[in-house]
Amino acid sequence: MTFEQLIFYILAAIAVISSLMMISVNNPVKAALWLVLAFIATAGVWITAQAEFLGIVLILVYAGAVMVLFLFVVMMLDINLVKLKEGFIRYLPIGVLAALGIFALMYMVLGPNNFGMDVTGEPVRFDANHSNTTMIGLALYTVHVYAFILAAVLLLVGIVAAIALTIRRRPPHEVKYQNIDKQVKTQARDRFEMIKMQPVKEKPVENKKEEDE
Amino acid sequence: MNFVIPDFTPAVPEMVLLALASFILIADTFWSERYKYATYYATQASLVIVGLLILFSFTSETAVTFNESFVRDAFADVLKLFIILVSIGVFLFSKEYLQNHDFYKGEFFTLGLFAILGMFVMVSAYNFITLFVGLEIMSLAMYAMIAMQRDSAKATEAAMKYFVLGALATGLLLYGLSMIYGATGTLTIPEVKAVIEAGKANSTVLAFGVVFIVIGLGFKLGAVPFHMWVPDVYDGAPTAVTLFIAAAPKIAAFAIVYRLLVDGMPGLVVDWQQLLIIMAILSMVIGTVIALAQTNFKRLLAYSGIAHIGFLLLGFIAATPEGYSAAMFYVLVYAITSVAAFGMILALGRKGMEFDQIKDFAGLNKRNPWLAAMMLIIMFSMAGVPPFIGFYAKLVVLEEVIAAGFTWLAIIGVVTAIAGAFYYLRVIKVMYFDAPEQDTPLPASTRELSVGVSVYSLSLLVLGIMPAWLMAVAYNSLLM
Amino acid sequence: MVALSDYLIFSAILFTLSMAGIFLNRKNVIILLMSIELMLLAVNTNLVAFSYFLNDISGQIFVFFILTVAAAEAAIGLAIIVLVFRNRKSINVDDLGSLKG
Repeated sequence: MTFEQLIFYILAAIAVISSLMMISVNNPVKAALWLVLAFIATAGVWITAQAEFLGIVLILVYAGAVMVLFLFVVMMLDINLVKLKEGFIRYLPIGVLAALGIFALMYMVLGPNNFGMDVTGEPVRFDANHSNTTMIGLALYTVHVYAFILAAVLLLVGIVAAIALTIRRRPPHEVKYQNIDKQVKTQARDRFEMIKMQPVKEKPVENKKEEDE
Repeated sequence: MNFVIPDFTPAVPEMVLLALASFILIADTFWSERYKYATYYATQASLVIVGLLILFSFTSETAVTFNESFVRDAFADVLKLFIILVSIGVFLFSKEYLQNHDFYKGEFFTLGLFAILGMFVMVSAYNFITLFVGLEIMSLAMYAMIAMQRDSAKATEAAMKYFVLGALATGLLLYGLSMIYGATGTLTIPEVKAVIEAGKANSTVLAFGVVFIVIGLGFKLGAVPFHMWVPDVYDGAPTAVTLFIAAAPKIAAFAIVYRLLVDGMPGLVVDWQQLLIIMAILSMVIGTVIALAQTNFKRLLAYSGIAHIGFLLLGFIAATPEGYSAAMFYVLVYAITSVAAFGMILALGRKGMEFDQIKDFAGLNKRNPWLAAMMLIIMFSMAGVPPFIGFYAKLVVLEEVIAAGFTWLAIIGVVTAIAGAFYYLRVIKVMYFDAPEQDTPLPASTRELSVGVSVYSLSLLVLGIMPAWLMAVAYNSLLM
Repeated sequence: MVALSDYLIFSAILFTLSMAGIFLNRKNVIILLMSIELMLLAVNTNLVAFSYFLNDISGQIFVFFILTVAAAEAAIGLAIIVLVFRNRKSINVDDLGSLKG
């Protein structure tokens, strides 16, 4: 077994075990963390396949942003953990059997018969100074420029949709908004008033600086 | 590396639509407080502008641009025109409903426009990436539109159900596409076709990929056994949104089925044909049988929609150019009919009252004879009674499937169509022979709605008397 | 050298696990969404591996777009979950009784 294979198998094993944990743990927070580990290990697998840019993007965007979003939502909601797990044990045997069946079928198609090294041939290896990012950039901004612009539209739709769904405008008396027009037009007499009062002798204030506000 | 600036002219309608949608998105924040309907009128105006653009630049030549990401042919143009035609009706009927249910918001219209842009992209997609991105633009906008009535538990749950199953369907579709990519080494639809026809790809892997693709498409179309979201979403979503998702997206879904299976993988016809046969039989039978038991009119239309999808698939099963044209004719007719049917619910609904139970229609003939007559046309057309257009839609599909040698499938189709006629006739019986709960006249909620519904319903009759025109459109756009 | 079949089988295992996750966690929408993310990860691994062995960059471009879309999709999905929770005080699918297939 070469060093490269060793790395691949270790990373693949980590990814598989953490995905297994992800679908079987009770607590959504733990599940999210296991999924982060699976993403990181898979990113390593991608890098062994010379997809360096995507490997790093996976860690930055997925482990870094999407999963954090998941964690935010999980922690915002008060979820009843006991109820969520009902039925898990009951469906477990059927689930495992079905999964094994699907996997056996997939193995027959995707196994060494159709995709072994002797069938596909060795992949092209690039030098150490080959830039994967350059290649992706070149293709992305030329051949796939239409799709690239559409991706921008898609993200715009995502923004509009997420805001339209979740923004809650609270009534004006609850929230204080800044009214710039009003601020600019304000004059000294609106803010500062001279009043007349009798001179009184005050008691000396004892050290109570906290209350100065 | 040489880069040639692609030819933008074929994509002008998309570009104009994107520009107008973005403009309305921004302008809405300024004008919505002063002019309540400005966004609505701007939306309709942009649809008309884009429609006219397509109509006047219509050519029967095929233009491929953006390095084979985008194709514009007669097929795409006709489908886009019908998407516009249907969507104008959808927005027209929605306006009043949105107000009555307190969620009249500019975002409904802008997201709707973006969804239509997504449909355009799907219709014109010539590679897997643009097809996928277009599909997602449409789906994301629709998920949000369903959930837009934020305080309704029913609507948000429907959105969640649609979202989970839609995302699952996307995952399966992508898995299939990745297999096709692995076997053929290309993402471009015509190249996929060429590689498959040259016999250079591993047929086991291709067949494996096709299974996932067909399952993914089945979810998107709402064909049995991947239909469980359809009734819940149709029922749970606000009726205006149901109208939106029941009409134009079906045309777009038809387009991607055509682009993937017929444009991309005609060489694998034996693989996908069998899967489609199973889905078509199950959809026709189960859709019809369960529809018989419904009391809610929206659920009835959902199950009847499933049965219609079964009929649509018959055209693909025939696997001849005439068969695809018949399927195209069917989907266009179905889209117009469902706009009219859901429009009727919206026209008769009131503030605080949905007109969505079959018993609500009791004695409609006494309360509003004109709309009852329109409803009669819609129901007859859906049932496939001559001389309405629905009859010809069913007829051509059955003809083609018989011509392709699947007489037994056609027999199942005829039997389910006759059984299906029963529940449409039941609605008619309720309208004309049952005693109404109240005798008060029931005008449509606005004059606009009454006229709109009448136009769409009467078009079913007019097209039915002269079916040759629409048939010629569907046939010529594919056979040229 | 790692063979293409190894990459594909790795991705098939992830895909199977995600299917099992969807089947077993039908009550828990959050884990359901995570399982769908796992399914997309399997798809992407397929594409990356094919792109490597075919020496064709377009597979990686496809992955790029899938990642973009999945991120936007997750944002909308979570927004919908938050709405459901506000209306129901629960995201347990069984409590969502008003819609029955």
